[in-house]
Amino acid sequence: MSSSSAVEADGLHKRYGSTVAVDDVSLSIASGEVFGILGRNGAGKSTTVELIAGLRRADRGTVRVLGLDPWQDRARLRQVLGVQLQSSHLHSALTVTELVRLFRAFYRDPLGTDELIESVGLTDSRSVRFERLSGGQQQRLSIALTLAGRPRVVILDELTTGLDPEARRHMWSTVASLRDSGVTALLVSHAMEEIERLCDRVALLDAGRVVALDSPSGLISRVGFSRRVTFRVAEAVPVGLLEKLDGVDQVRADNGRVVVEGRGDLLQTVSVALVRAGVVATETRSEQATLDDAFLALTGRRPDHHEDVSR
Amino acid sequence: MTGIPLPAVHRPGPRSWLELLICELKMVVRDTAGLIVPIGLPMLILVMSASSAGRQEIANGRTALDVYVLPLVFTMILATTGIINMPSFLAYYRRSGILRRLAVTPASPAMVLVAQVAVGVLQTSIGVAAAWALASLVFDANPPVHLAAAFGVLALATAAMYAVGMIVAALAPTPNSAVAIGLASFFAVGALGGMFGNRESLPDALAAIGESLPFGASVQALSAAWTGAAVQPVHLISLTAAILIGGAVSAALFRWE
Repeated sequence: MSSSSAVEADGLHKRYGSTVAVDDVSLSIASGEVFGILGRNGAGKSTTVELIAGLRRADRGTVRVLGLDPWQDRARLRQVLGVQLQSSHLHSALTVTELVRLFRAFYRDPLGTDELIESVGLTDSRSVRFERLSGGQQQRLSIALTLAGRPRVVILDELTTGLDPEARRHMWSTVASLRDSGVTALLVSHAMEEIERLCDRVALLDAGRVVALDSPSGLISRVGFSRRVTFRVAEAVPVGLLEKLDGVDQVRADNGRVVVEGRGDLLQTVSVALVRAGVVATETRSEQATLDDAFLALTGRRPDHHEDVSR
Repeated sequence: MTGIPLPAVHRPGPRSWLELLICELKMVVRDTAGLIVPIGLPMLILVMSASSAGRQEIANGRTALDVYVLPLVFTMILATTGIINMPSFLAYYRRSGILRRLAVTPASPAMVLVAQVAVGVLQTSIGVAAAWALASLVFDANPPVHLAAAFGVLALATAAMYAVGMIVAALAPTPNSAVAIGLASFFAVGALGGMFGNRESLPDALAAIGESLPFGASVQALSAAWTGAAVQPVHLISLTAAILIGGAVSAALFRWE
């Protein structure tokens, strides 16, 4: 409970009927921090965010955003909290400029219309109706509207889902510049690369609970191995031989594809051993442990990798 | 929490209301198909029956056009806007997440509701004015004997139709079903209220029910104001009841998402 925390959630519980969506979630996000919430679909990410944004009321627990109760102090908080909701639409027949003007009008000290449109790269499409924008453009417009009131805290739910790689990089640089201007950001995602690249700390949610809370590199270091080497062999897999090597933690073989996890210069160790044993390996790859591996190690399952998020 | 000064309270002011109103207006105007039923259909009925009805005097120098056709045409304008169009907009806003999106800004989704009603009132006023201009300029229609009563009934009937529309908006799960439920409700109250011909040809029980529903009550009360007869209390009570029941039902059942 530091005096500079922007978001404090304490013991949040939320159930829908017999389903417990959020089960004792506590988070403390420092002012100026970019904080990620990571989890599979149904892990409770969106509900947690809705509780913090004041869209839903927790069954138990408290939320403070900039010291305000999002439910009681709604009018005060809405001026300084920007929320981008997952897959929400806007007035279909209004143009980019019209929507930006509308949302600006809600705030006391908004950013300029042209400035907002420019900041998400929609200047050329400013007279296009919302319904005729591409999915990526709609998403970018949604971000511009979130930033219209110069928020001090932003909540971005599935920021880059459905965006092409270029638009995604554009969004990432937008978040980076938010961080530079001291804005606190809460990012919900199941895109590992995004979390790894942008977030100072990550809470990993599984079945409505926080199962880990650390920096991305801190989470990765909990995986138990640091490197992984994969290769293919045509003949019998020398599992026993590999397992005895120094620095090797685990060997898995499946249909001629071998995965070796361990530490140090694992590729060198494995290659030398294979050459000595006269085994011909193909498609050899060496990689570092990723947030994906951390996810697997901490929840026992792989994260979702599909692009479409259904609610 | 000493490190962060508390943000000041700031509620959306007149400028945000104006912007929202303009946006809702643009949405309604750009929904061209949605303008045809509330403006075009009543005009069509007016044009088709005006010339013959304009020659039939009923009382006080008022013709069948004044006493029967205009009250029906005006009521149709109010009913189509309130019962069909407004709920379909709200259902679309809810389904597409617009109300939810506004709920996380300083604007309240209730502002959208108010703006929709305001735009609807404007739209019905334009529709009524256009129908009146056509009727009086082309078909020599006469103004109501009791002008103030006619305006009062129009205002009350507009509120009653919106109240029925709010029930539709509260009950309909999807935009499509809002249109379906709205159309069905419109034709039900319209048929019982004399939209397809004389109410006298309906069985007595149905005619009585139709007269106490908002559509029939509006037609009867406007008709009375036109001939110079006293507006019957039962019609005013039924319009008021529609407002109260619609308000209560929609307040209890309306979902923002």
